[in-house]
Amino acid sequence: RKRQLLTEIVLRNRLTALVVDADTTCRVLEQLLLRSYGVQTQGVDNGRDAVTLIASGVKFNLIIIDMILPILNGLEATRQIRDMGVHCKMLGVTACSGESERQAFLAAGVDVFIEKPLDPEHLVPILRELDG
Amino acid sequence: MEVGQMQRRLVDYTKSLFMEGFLDAQFLQLQQLQDESNPDFVVEVVSLFFDDSEKLLNDLTMALDQPNVDFKKVDAHVHQLKGSSSSIGAQRVKNACIAFRSFCEEQNIDATLRCLQQVKQEYYLVKNKLETMLRLEQQIVAAGGSIPMIELGF
Repeated sequence: RKRQLLTEIVLRNRLTALVVDADTTCRVLEQLLLRSYGVQTQGVDNGRDAVTLIASGVKFNLIIIDMILPILNGLEATRQIRDMGVHCKMLGVTACSGESERQAFLAAGVDVFIEKPLDPEHLVPILRELDG
Repeated sequence: MEVGQMQRRLVDYTKSLFMEGFLDAQFLQLQQLQDESNPDFVVEVVSLFFDDSEKLLNDLTMALDQPNVDFKKVDAHVHQLKGSSSSIGAQRVKNACIAFRSFCEEQNIDATLRCLQQVKQEYYLVKNKLETMLRLEQQIVAAGGSIPMIELGF
């Protein structure tokens, strides 16, 4: 099958992304969507592992993080990642849809709040921006 | 049944799933991610969704069966199911979760029990429909045919 509906872009640089989502279906889908654009991805299923990975020095161009996560929730994980001085693009991708949740996630440090599902319409402009 | 007939049957069946609201455009997105390097992608993701969902529905049943229901826990499970169902395009499951969450907020035990039944019903319906659709696809491939693309503009 040809990809007729996915916006086709060609990235000039190799981008990397971390996907933080407790739900396997969502995490696998988001990683595959990123990979279809040539982004190298890693996935973790809780906030603590995300913070630990970043604290170990691994760098990403993009972090996609859910709000409700086990062990350490997405809001707190985002705050801790930003407190480490990490300035990469962070997308809060969550099934939460309320304005208060949106404000809380933005206040915690995500750059963009996206209600699930993550789709090319939101992702492609961000990848283009990261690709310079 | 010859391949052309099977293909037409698949197209009609798949279109009916969209018309009846079982699936939304997100499912088409999923199909677009399937290619030569990921030939079984849709089957694999749908299977993951089935496994995750059945675990979540069991967790929800147990959580609502407690003498003192922890509505935060219930809400967290429903939230997760809302996320995964929306990610694969299972629209009616997603919508049932939205209603469910509002009753969790109210901590309304009777309403949340009714919502659980509704979510289960929608889940088993879409599971059945998707299994039928994937079986039709397998039959076409086994007969040497290719899976027809579904146009968005129907």
